[in-house]
Amino acid sequence: MAVSDDTRTYENPFLDKLLSVPGLDVAVGSIERLLDWGTSNALWIFPMATSCCGIEFMAAAAARVDVDRMGTIVRGSPRQGDVMVVAGTITVKMAPRVKKLWDQMPEPKWCLAMGSCAISGDFYRDIYSVIPGIDTVVPVDVYVPGCPPNPQELMRGLMRLQDKIHLQREGKWSPPETRPERDKMIRPEIGRVGDEDRDPLLSSVQLDRARSLGLDGNEMRDNDDPTGRMLAPQTLSIGQHNGESPAAGSDA
Amino acid sequence: MNEAIAPLLGIDVADVSDFGMTVPADKHFALATLLKTSGYGLYVSVIATHFTEQKKSRKVPEPVPEHFQVATVLRKPVKGAALSFSWKVKLDVGQPIDSLVSLFAGADWQEREQYDLVGVTFANHPDLRRLMMPDDWEGHPLRRDYAIDTPHHPWR
Repeated sequence: MAVSDDTRTYENPFLDKLLSVPGLDVAVGSIERLLDWGTSNALWIFPMATSCCGIEFMAAAAARVDVDRMGTIVRGSPRQGDVMVVAGTITVKMAPRVKKLWDQMPEPKWCLAMGSCAISGDFYRDIYSVIPGIDTVVPVDVYVPGCPPNPQELMRGLMRLQDKIHLQREGKWSPPETRPERDKMIRPEIGRVGDEDRDPLLSSVQLDRARSLGLDGNEMRDNDDPTGRMLAPQTLSIGQHNGESPAAGSDA
Repeated sequence: MNEAIAPLLGIDVADVSDFGMTVPADKHFALATLLKTSGYGLYVSVIATHFTEQKKSRKVPEPVPEHFQVATVLRKPVKGAALSFSWKVKLDVGQPIDSLVSLFAGADWQEREQYDLVGVTFANHPDLRRLMMPDDWEGHPLRRDYAIDTPHHPWR
């Protein structure tokens, strides 16, 4: 868009005058483009940092990953903010306050959900006092997954938001981001008791171990055990997933 | 020290163990006053615990009714060390315990927290409201019989 050709002239003499000012030639264009440029490069952040994601957010605002170079100044007031970065777990008591602060922000405004807790509640999703994701309260434009996401990932989320603003200013359809799947976020890659691709001996030993514990968590002594069932000493090899049991060979 | 304090409050020394002593609820305030006058001026914490009813079984020789236990910790700062003193109060369901706000101003929010999460009532507390949960919350979340999936509009 920058007019670098000096021989080019405009019908409007004001534009020719503008072109003579060094550096102002980039401003000549449609007013939409000017607004686009100004909006996407001055995303002032209102930090809704409630927990440890806020620390990573501070790191993103500090010297090494400097989001200030994108024009994203961090403001402590919702009235001067464009982007609300929800960084942290939002509780049931906090959610109405978040909504109130979101309503105080002037249009245009965007919301960036940073971290697993803000996206879906993650570990705390099933706890009585935590809401399952900030997108149940305010509309979220960009999801930045991670626990917590590192500063570079937050910066990448801000750049995705810039792309979204560009597309919206051009009148194009910007596909809405979807919440990352919960299973992929929190479920670790371990086999659980009863899984088919897990060593059956390991499962049985684990179940025996669990059954031998009393209600108070202490292991029962043999005269305490009503069923007379005792944990047999066995040799375990966790890595073996083939059909034959490793303890069968040692018995013979 | 427990053995020294117990006769002052009329408690049998046999009830005192190494893990602190259990004080009747009506002696709670008197003990705190006595400790404060003897230098234990730092109110550290109050910990309320809920115990559900336990029937008689092989592990439980005597049936235990549902009750609460309130442990209070005071501290005496001395040079180079800090002496702590703690005692417990066993409460029945619905039985209030004396508030220590008139002795220690720092007990205000801590007792409100215990009231909020466990549901222990503190008598003579100046402002006994919920501290952490919303004001319209139903139930006390740190009770042992509190269901973790208790519905709360509009999230679950």
